[in-house]
Amino acid sequence: MNSLDFSVLLQAWPYLWSGLLFSLALTAAAFVIGMMLGTCFALVQHFEVPVVSQIVRSYIALVRSIPLILVLFWFFFLVPIVLGHLSGNGRPVPIGATWTAFITFGLFEAAYYSEIIRVGLRAVNKGQFEACQALALSTFDTYRCVILPQVIRVASPIILSQTIILFQDTSLVYVLSLTDLLGAASKLAQLNGRLVEMYLVVAVVYLAISSAASQCVASLRRRYALGGAHR
Amino acid sequence: MRQEGAVNPSNHSSAIVVVENLVKRFGGFTALNDVHLTVAKGEKIVLCGPSGSGKSTLIRCINHIEKHDGGRIVVDGVELVNRMADINSVRCEVGMVFQSFNLFPHLSVVENCMLAPMKVRGLSRPEAHERAMGLLRKVRIHGQADKYPAQLSGGQQQRVAIARALCMQPKIMLFDEPTSALDPEMVKEVLDTMVQLAGEGMTMVCVTHEIGFAREVADRVVFMDQGSIVEEGEPASFFSSPRTERAKGFLNQIIH
Repeated sequence: MNSLDFSVLLQAWPYLWSGLLFSLALTAAAFVIGMMLGTCFALVQHFEVPVVSQIVRSYIALVRSIPLILVLFWFFFLVPIVLGHLSGNGRPVPIGATWTAFITFGLFEAAYYSEIIRVGLRAVNKGQFEACQALALSTFDTYRCVILPQVIRVASPIILSQTIILFQDTSLVYVLSLTDLLGAASKLAQLNGRLVEMYLVVAVVYLAISSAASQCVASLRRRYALGGAHR
Repeated sequence: MRQEGAVNPSNHSSAIVVVENLVKRFGGFTALNDVHLTVAKGEKIVLCGPSGSGKSTLIRCINHIEKHDGGRIVVDGVELVNRMADINSVRCEVGMVFQSFNLFPHLSVVENCMLAPMKVRGLSRPEAHERAMGLLRKVRIHGQADKYPAQLSGGQQQRVAIARALCMQPKIMLFDEPTSALDPEMVKEVLDTMVQLAGEGMTMVCVTHEIGFAREVADRVVFMDQGSIVEEGEPASFFSSPRTERAKGFLNQIIH
């Protein structure tokens, strides 16, 4: 192998950039879908809603015990067939690779966020619920204004850590032939033959983004340690 | 004796809280056993008794934080059964102060006081803010309005909790051992606030072992043991010459 030549980066940059944007967009979408669904899942379990909470619990157990890549395959190949059957004419309804990625990641992450929020809900002091009752706050306002903000605050370091893992996991979309940051780099590497340079640069980008986010985790932890000293 | 009218549950004219035949069980344990209590408008009652005697459970039943298993509770003319609308209308009229403050840690002092008036009473933000600042001034803590609970001392937090309850403009205030979690030097500032409130004619039911407060403020001391009311009377006579052996034993233990 020759000495390293990073000049290929100049040409590669726009393509890598579009890959990075896709990774970030997928992370953001999966975060939003995952948090909203995950919060609903956690609340359903918290309130022990009959039947629904058992279904949610099984769903979470299932998703957490199989690899993400398998879920992606399932969703990509099986859901069109299921949709076809549901629509009645039996022909598979293709949902496309991009939609598959966004929906699958959202559903998958929902299971993980849900567990984080469920544990957070249990950690809220009983006195907080009693104070809300004594003030005649409705159940909705109790959770929206008092309980969930505290849960999100307490759980924010863990939520962010999970999101860093999510960001790295977005590289799995290569199985759907989607081009994320890593996918862009590996395609370019095969074209220009500069495998070492491309993978080094990609690693540096992942490292930079993930460690910046980890810094946020650390500062959130410190801030929570301060604010949470008294409850 | 002026207590006689208030003690008699059939006299409902001036009564704001009527508790009859109240029973509360926790599993196999009977926390309250056939308790009768009537609170007249403007009356100040101190509940005392050994730990586990049911005094906290009793006041927690009055705003339905604990569901009672038997008997009747009528607050301001509304009977507490399991109708949420009734329960909430009672809770609007009954303020509660907890031993452990239970302020909302993610909201500033003034926001703690504004939340329920806005959400429950439907006040606008400026109205709620004005009311909150007025009551924070009353408990002499308006200088800390924008701080967070964790930045305040225990005594300050408890005064905020009192202001938060008052912001709902309740007709009755319940105090559940409001000074028990405080360092000794902070007890007085909270008691002073409560004395001030009593002086303004608020109806108060206080679970407390602060005898000085009881002597100064209470119209009636109710002594509970093992889930029942054992003795009640004016503070002066109760503290100097309790009639029952159990009250004597209890007072001997708390007065050193």
